Amino acid sequence: MSDFLSGFRIGSSGMAAQRARMNTISSNIANINTLKTPEGGPYRRKDVVFEAIPDGKTFGDVVGVNDPQKDFNRVQVVDVIHDKRGPLMKFEPSHPDANEDGYVAYPNINLMEEMTNMIQATRSYEANVQAVQATKDMALSALEIGR
Amino acid sequence: MSNLFDKTTDALATSLRMRQIRHTVTTGNIANAETPGYHAQKVDFEEAMARALDLDGNQSMTATNENHFIAGEALPANPQVYDNPDVAVNNDGNTVDMEKEMAALSENSILYKAALQLINKKMAAMKYAISEGR
Repeated sequence: MSDFLSGFRIGSSGMAAQRARMNTISSNIANINTLKTPEGGPYRRKDVVFEAIPDGKTFGDVVGVNDPQKDFNRVQVVDVIHDKRGPLMKFEPSHPDANEDGYVAYPNINLMEEMTNMIQATRSYEANVQAVQATKDMALSALEIGR
Repeated sequence: MSNLFDKTTDALATSLRMRQIRHTVTTGNIANAETPGYHAQKVDFEEAMARALDLDGNQSMTATNENHFIAGEALPANPQVYDNPDVAVNNDGNTVDMEKEMAALSENSILYKAALQLINKKMAAMKYAISEGR
């Protein structure tokens, strides 16, 4: 069953996902020079993993009366992963965290990459806002039938 | 079918329902614009609807006797939603074209409102008749 509420649900899931992504990007930018973390070692770049999940949470969907609604998909952040790239080694023999060769392990974060991701996340968020806005407009005009 | 609301009103109501489904599909595509491996969904109803309403005037087969089979003229309650084949696949396997989806969203929204206005006009005309033109 498709109603306007599923439009709102799907749009807001997209907004929430992009916001989560924005949070990891902010975290990456803020920790671009962080050398100590609770798990030890320099900060490692984080990224979100999106997954499309079928939108359907009506009673009929849950008890299996309806066919599972696989036509309409929400988006969900299923995982936050650590970047597999190794740390950036900088030669700073005077640094207290330097290893025996005089190298310090810095987080391997590319500021340009984070900025482009940030712009992309912003635009995607705006697109989802537009979708929710359009849903709202349509639903409100439908309420005006016969006025 | 009641006589109060004619074929046009029914067609407009069907159109509203179909546009709402398309709206949900488009919203889903926009939300999943950056989901790896997601395939953009599409829903078609215009052709089936034009056939059902006999817009081309070709008078395709109709059931005039109760023993006749209905030859695909009735619009299915749930139109089929399928993976859009007319797309470019992204590096991560995603096939959502954001520009197309945003354009489809606006277009669909405008046509939805157009159908609503037409329904409202019909209702207004009926109201006018009910109130004896006062």
